[in-house]
Amino acid sequence: MDNKLEKLVKAKEKIRLGGGEKRIEKQHERGKHTARERIDMLLDEGSFVEIDAFVKHRCNNFGMESVETPGEGVVTGYGTVDGRLIFVYAQDFTVLGGSLGEMHAEKICKVQEMAIKMGAPIVGFNDSGGARIQEGVDALSGYGKIFYRNTKASGVIPQITAIMGPSAGGAVYSPAITDFIFMVEKTSMMFITGPQVIKTVTGEEVSQEELGGAMTHNRTSGVAHFVDNSEEECIERIKKLLSFLPSNNLEEPPYVETEDDINRIEDRLNEIVPENPNKPYDMKEIITIIADDNDFFEVQPYFAQNIITGYIRINGKTVGVIGNQPKVLAGCLDINASDKAGRFIRTCDAYNIPLLNLVDVPGFLPGTEQEYGGIIRHGAKMLYAYSEATVPKVTVIIRKAYGGAYIAMCNKELGADQVFAWPNAEIAVMGPDGAANIIFKHDIKESEDTMETRAEKIEEYRHTVANPYIAASRGYVDDVIVPSTTRQRLASAFDMLQSKRETNPAKKHGNIPL
Amino acid sequence: MKNYLIRVNGNEYEVEVEEISKSSGEKKSIVKQTVAPKQEVKKPAQKIETKKEETKKVVDVPQGAESIDAPMPGTVLSIDVNEGDEVKAGQVLLILEAMKMENEILSPRDGKVAAIHTTKGTSVSTGDKLVSIE
Repeated sequence: MDNKLEKLVKAKEKIRLGGGEKRIEKQHERGKHTARERIDMLLDEGSFVEIDAFVKHRCNNFGMESVETPGEGVVTGYGTVDGRLIFVYAQDFTVLGGSLGEMHAEKICKVQEMAIKMGAPIVGFNDSGGARIQEGVDALSGYGKIFYRNTKASGVIPQITAIMGPSAGGAVYSPAITDFIFMVEKTSMMFITGPQVIKTVTGEEVSQEELGGAMTHNRTSGVAHFVDNSEEECIERIKKLLSFLPSNNLEEPPYVETEDDINRIEDRLNEIVPENPNKPYDMKEIITIIADDNDFFEVQPYFAQNIITGYIRINGKTVGVIGNQPKVLAGCLDINASDKAGRFIRTCDAYNIPLLNLVDVPGFLPGTEQEYGGIIRHGAKMLYAYSEATVPKVTVIIRKAYGGAYIAMCNKELGADQVFAWPNAEIAVMGPDGAANIIFKHDIKESEDTMETRAEKIEEYRHTVANPYIAASRGYVDDVIVPSTTRQRLASAFDMLQSKRETNPAKKHGNIPL
Repeated sequence: MKNYLIRVNGNEYEVEVEEISKSSGEKKSIVKQTVAPKQEVKKPAQKIETKKEETKKVVDVPQGAESIDAPMPGTVLSIDVNEGDEVKAGQVLLILEAMKMENEILSPRDGKVAAIHTTKGTSVSTGDKLVSIE
């Protein structure tokens, strides 16, 4: 008996070391942690339970029959974060470069299925050279199985992927299907085809970092949602994100008790928006002031900065915020902003997170680049996502709300349950300058001093139309509120909406313009 | 009969080439006509000119400096820095009026204003270089 016990302990010890101490050292030299260290950093101390540690590959080609792969290059299991059940897998770069073969994939698939069955979030740490070539189509089959389960799990349990090393070729599509992608400066890399292939095919010369580094995907492509300087900071951020999300689509997000007064009156909000409608200000300041403990967790802070997305809590409950940013591109909606917001709205709706929309939008960004790029198709995503969302939706019109963009920011007709406007809101079909030119075309043309008449008419239009009261008189705006009371009013509105029940017509699935 | 244009050292020669079928038997001289060098010297010269123009545009941004481009079409309302000024990341470089908004164009990093490529009142389109920071 003692002999068998000893054998087990030894076997487990070997598996725990993965590719061995030398390779672990190498991993550390690169500024990276091992798969097990990452899992330990994420989960509550001592909570990790490993499964499938003894799984082995079945490949007999190219001398693989004699190659040992302790743990099959991926560590899988479950544990807790802040006491809540989380499933986890972490690719082990020290074992054959974390390459993905048939059994490696089977291990990941098993935790994916368990996560769906148990209704708990799954966090994956990707650090892999790609497919294990020796295993050929079996490796490809493995990828396919993971993508399929990613898709089945989508909208059921939150799926988070942290790119902790290379992720190239087909491997990028598992992260891409998940809800959130985290990257680390300098060590994370994502691309479909690497710099060498690009050079041979198109002659373009580009560095790995430039092609698929953390900032590229956070700022330019919008593939990733978060970037951090170190793995430690990245994992801390994952934990914080998890604190805003429910465990699955049937649960509410966790309630976090706060001492922050819901009746907090903020005079700063009365003066934050400049008198002159042409002057920008920082919408993030408004969001931060409204939030419990002034805590705003921004999602995709570097991509399409003309729209802001992120999570706050009001009265202890998670709220997803979408706000126009007048400081960037005048707060216009464009292709990237629509994409970013559309996805965020659907993520919130899938996980029962109420939506708060802060509107200051002059319109859609004009230009051939936008039209050719399909702003019609992309902008439609926002309208679709808002209309489809059945979670509580509250809109606050801070300043400008013009034309189609006003609708795209969730007006009453797209199902906003409550629409508030600040007194300096301008809600109209178009800006005063353009509108006056059309409506008073003849008056201006026939007047003696056209310039003066135009200015007069613009002012007349601004005075009579560009305000919140016409919309309020029709019931499109539920109330015009004193800005300083915004937090109080929102807390009350979301509280009232807690029991909201709304269902879409039964259907296989909608057909969002992609 | 095929016509070819052959360039030698920038000179162009028009050449006619005829394939001789085996059955024809008759031997014809393959080169039927030789045209004196067409005075196409101008063409390469023109090319050099356009190249110069391109390089001139690139030279606009001093070496090692990073150009800040217009994010959208608009009018330069004011320029808040001078060439040679030290600027901090997030400092306002100029105001671009676009979409009825006075958009602040900020410095992406600490540095020195290497060059200003625009003037007050200029209409710019997306991607136009506004300021260079080194």
